[in-house]
Amino acid sequence: MLSKYYICGLMYIVVIEKIERVIKEAESFLQDNKLNSEDFRLKYLSRKGILNELFDDFKKINNEQKKIVGQNLNKLKNKLEDIHQELSISGKTTSIEKSSGAIPDLTLPEIPNQLGGLHPLTIVKRKILEIFARMGFNAEDGPEIESDWYNFSALNFAENHPAREMQDTFFVEKNAITKDDLLLRTHTSNVQIRLMEYKKPPIRSIMAGRVYRNEAISARAHCQFHQVEGLYVDKNVSFKDLKDTLLHFAKEMFGKDTKIRLRPSYFPFTEPSAEIDVSCFICHGKGCNICKHSGWVEIAGSGMVDPNVLENCNINSEEYTGFAFGMGIERITMLKYGINDLRLFFENDVRFLKQFNGIH
Amino acid sequence: MKISYNHLKTLIDFNHDPQKLGEILTGTGLEVEAIEKVDAVKGGLDGLVIGEVMACGKHPDADKLSVTKIDIGSGELLDIVCGAPNVAQGQKVIVATVGTTLYPSTGDSFVIKKSKIRGAVSEGMLCAEDEIGLGASHAGIMVLDTNLPIGTPIAKYFNLEPDYLIEIGLTPNRADAASHLGVARDIKAAGDQNIKTPDISKFALGISASSISLTVEDLEACPRFCGLEIKGIEVKESPDWLKRFLNTIGVNAINNIVDISNYVCHYLGQPMHMFDADEIRGSKIIVKCPSEGTEIVTLDGLSRKLNGTDLAICDAEGPISIAGVFGGQNSGVKPETKNVFLEVAYFNPVSIRKTSSRFSLKTDASFRYERGTDPNMPLFAIKFAALMVQELAGGEICDTLIDNYPQPIANFGFDVKIKNINRLLGKELGETLIIDILEKLDIKVLSNIEGILKVSVPPYRVDVTREADVIEEILRIYGFDNIELSENLSSDFISDFPAKDLDNLQFKLSDSLAAMGFHEIQNLSIVKPADNAWLNEGESVVKLLNPLSEELSEMRQSLLFSGLSSVLYNVNRRNKDLKFFEIGRTYNKSEVEGITKIKENKVLSLLMTGNVSAESWMQKSTAINYHHLFQVVSQVLNLMKIKKMDTNETSNAMFAYGLEHIVRNKSLVKFGLVSNELLAKADIKQPVFYAEFDWDLLCKIYSGENKFTEIPKYPEVKRDLSLVLNKDVKFEQIKKVAYNIERKLLKSVNVFDVYQGDKLPADQKSYSVSFILQDEEKTLNDQQIDKTMTRLMVAFEAEVGAVIRK
Repeated sequence: MLSKYYICGLMYIVVIEKIERVIKEAESFLQDNKLNSEDFRLKYLSRKGILNELFDDFKKINNEQKKIVGQNLNKLKNKLEDIHQELSISGKTTSIEKSSGAIPDLTLPEIPNQLGGLHPLTIVKRKILEIFARMGFNAEDGPEIESDWYNFSALNFAENHPAREMQDTFFVEKNAITKDDLLLRTHTSNVQIRLMEYKKPPIRSIMAGRVYRNEAISARAHCQFHQVEGLYVDKNVSFKDLKDTLLHFAKEMFGKDTKIRLRPSYFPFTEPSAEIDVSCFICHGKGCNICKHSGWVEIAGSGMVDPNVLENCNINSEEYTGFAFGMGIERITMLKYGINDLRLFFENDVRFLKQFNGIH
Repeated sequence: MKISYNHLKTLIDFNHDPQKLGEILTGTGLEVEAIEKVDAVKGGLDGLVIGEVMACGKHPDADKLSVTKIDIGSGELLDIVCGAPNVAQGQKVIVATVGTTLYPSTGDSFVIKKSKIRGAVSEGMLCAEDEIGLGASHAGIMVLDTNLPIGTPIAKYFNLEPDYLIEIGLTPNRADAASHLGVARDIKAAGDQNIKTPDISKFALGISASSISLTVEDLEACPRFCGLEIKGIEVKESPDWLKRFLNTIGVNAINNIVDISNYVCHYLGQPMHMFDADEIRGSKIIVKCPSEGTEIVTLDGLSRKLNGTDLAICDAEGPISIAGVFGGQNSGVKPETKNVFLEVAYFNPVSIRKTSSRFSLKTDASFRYERGTDPNMPLFAIKFAALMVQELAGGEICDTLIDNYPQPIANFGFDVKIKNINRLLGKELGETLIIDILEKLDIKVLSNIEGILKVSVPPYRVDVTREADVIEEILRIYGFDNIELSENLSSDFISDFPAKDLDNLQFKLSDSLAAMGFHEIQNLSIVKPADNAWLNEGESVVKLLNPLSEELSEMRQSLLFSGLSSVLYNVNRRNKDLKFFEIGRTYNKSEVEGITKIKENKVLSLLMTGNVSAESWMQKSTAINYHHLFQVVSQVLNLMKIKKMDTNETSNAMFAYGLEHIVRNKSLVKFGLVSNELLAKADIKQPVFYAEFDWDLLCKIYSGENKFTEIPKYPEVKRDLSLVLNKDVKFEQIKKVAYNIERKLLKSVNVFDVYQGDKLPADQKSYSVSFILQDEEKTLNDQQIDKTMTRLMVAFEAEVGAVIRK
């Protein structure tokens, strides 16, 4: 088709004209919101595109004219690549902006980018660990499938004591001879024993983890839940230290005006033992459903480590004393967010999980 | 445990209202869980007062009605129309004031309103017995014979004041408080009133001979046994006060004899049993463990087999009750019983506990015996009970009171150091205060030498046997809240923190995943056997011996199955675009020399399904594919700075296809499309992509270290190649070849276009690959670049059969 110009040596003029036409046409692409970057690439930049066609023509041009055409061709190539990039990056917005000439609808919905989030139990566990880390408690961990010794006997649960009934246990293996049954731990206190066995005092640690009880699943009870437990053993650790530590925790966790109250209770591994209440952080003592109009909510159990427990771990109970405390992560999470059904934690309904997105 | 507020008052004087009392008891360690008002009759006779008929005349328009003027002490006389024939001036009557709800003996309750009856105003009602639920009589209004002032509540007149049920959550260590007496002792310790010990001075033996003899064969299980026969009693209904007491504490009233047993048990904490004396064969009581297989029919009509270590009360022919746990059917008191034999004993707690838990029998008696009762109580209690029997059922106490107690149980004695008390409390209490508290608790201080107290503890305090126990006693009476709090926290010791904090690592990675749009999920560790069975790991499954149900009976070996359940749960609720992660444990067991070893591994799982993002006006939603998951897996590895690993296609049956990264010969992560079989099993109809990381291994490899390297001074260059390849050739092979050929200059390899289609034979594909080259010491010149590219091309042609398109 171009042969007669080729003969005349005027080929280069035709090519330059064509280049100019292509630039104009390509620019109009930016205005046309029906076409996208892929269409553009196919038309101009692909192997069979216009650009390659022009390069083929270029090969046929006389050497002395190649310089001028080459410059134009390079200009075109850069221009086409720029337009292609612009189309790829900005997509339709650009076309809308350019086509109307006015400010586009800036309130069209943003491009969706679904945030994920942490499980509420993780959020609360993390907060608890952080608070205690600031108080110098490091985190420790231990097994969930445990022997009777670490879960019960070493913790001063005597065989045939009614205290064993306080915790319904899942068994993995019964050992008639040694009595050292294998079971799913019913609390994180097993880690206390393991810790005191391998690490001598002073000990200042916090342990979080999953525990199990043989209880039918309902809104108020579950066969699986999570605990955080703390232990401090040193010379001269007192009940007053326990109270101070828990007060400090309560203030950081529930707000600086929070008060605590301790009530005598019973756990085989502490003597004396206490239940810990915090002043209701929902109603601030005025009375609400969460605190059952008492102004106080129970959050933890605690006490001074029973001398038998220390001796079971070969720690001299005349020389050392210690305190321990434990709390249910689910309970605190439920209180904190007003969740009323335990089962929600393990159903993994995104409509539930989504509510805890964001920075905590 | 249930306590009657009114009956507590018979044991100790106090002025606290039920709420205040509840606070005090909770403070001493008897946690009050609920306080409930218990009306003696329905409605508690609220709103009913004593009134006097000041005037009484005929109703002008109705023959049978009277109009009265009633004084209820309010200052104004009430006009009340009354239909009863017996109403007359000067009577003291029961007045239901306006607003009162009446609960009649039959029919529905109703509210008294101000009204007009045949034109006459009536501001209340004068009541008959049946109208206020006190009886069946409708013979006329009740006329009271009383000196009580008008306006007095009727409940007071009838002595029907409400009682309060105090529900205590008794901890297992407080056996001593399992009765009204025990609770009263705590009130005493916390205050300054003394116990009003019930008067048993009237107890006296009679002259009638008792033929019943006692032999205790097992003294260890039964250290003390008191017995007494009472003849000529009458079994009948208990008096109202006793029925009301039992009703308050939730015990059914049966008859006077059974009710007395229950009363003694709840009032004094001493369980007792009454036999029909005529049913004791051979007139012999033998306390022993009958041989294994001996049967007894208990009160519930069931036949139970004793195991040879169960203690029983036997007569000449066999067991007549399971000691301290449950009575026998034949020997129980019946309506026609005339003579009773009272058994009040002290049994060994462990023996009772074993028997009661073996039979799963929890009775009021076993509850107390297995926690430990007071060995010094039986003699007092049997006299107390005998007096009650005489009073409520008549009869004559026989001439013999058996008290078999050959080895009396002594007080516990040990030393308590005052310095240890102060050390544990973190506060100096002072000797006088300490000794004062101990005395209130009936703990005797025998001596005090240089701060060492020799104490003597009564045996009913089964939980106080060591110094630590005494310190607890002192603290609970002193008051936990009386240990002052400090504004500032101080500690002698701060723990070391690990350089590589794995908790923190987990938190940070979780945050990153959340930012990538993943929600953290948590599933149960206990799963159904079908899940583990699918994995087919055989012997390594950890099974529960006593599962909640078949569906929840094994410990999980993978997070995949519960993850798929979470997907299904949400898909069923029309949430189909899901990105989940979970960090949790898997559990496996193995046997080493006959000993079971458990291995708990932490696993990080990722699940992706549905569309990449929600619909938008700007972009079409695209379905999540394998490469989206690949991207996230690589992100995780990049975040953990893990670079060196081998990659294979995984053969794991979980996946329809997928890859596996291997580090240190261990599988670090496997990921891919979940197999159709699994999806079908899980009832999921959309593709799900899954990755499972060995979290423990990931943590092990992670070093957390980062070193700065000089920013390159010389530019990098990019060169592209278009390779036509056989379809089976993997990019991973191309990468390997490239790095083998050029270790020094090659910085990265990327694919920027993939083509498969009409323009190539069916078994071929084309990859457009880019190479970044860089020399850290100098600028690369064209010659070097071309040389490197040529070497690469040659290698690709030779090793993966590539055809280079130029």
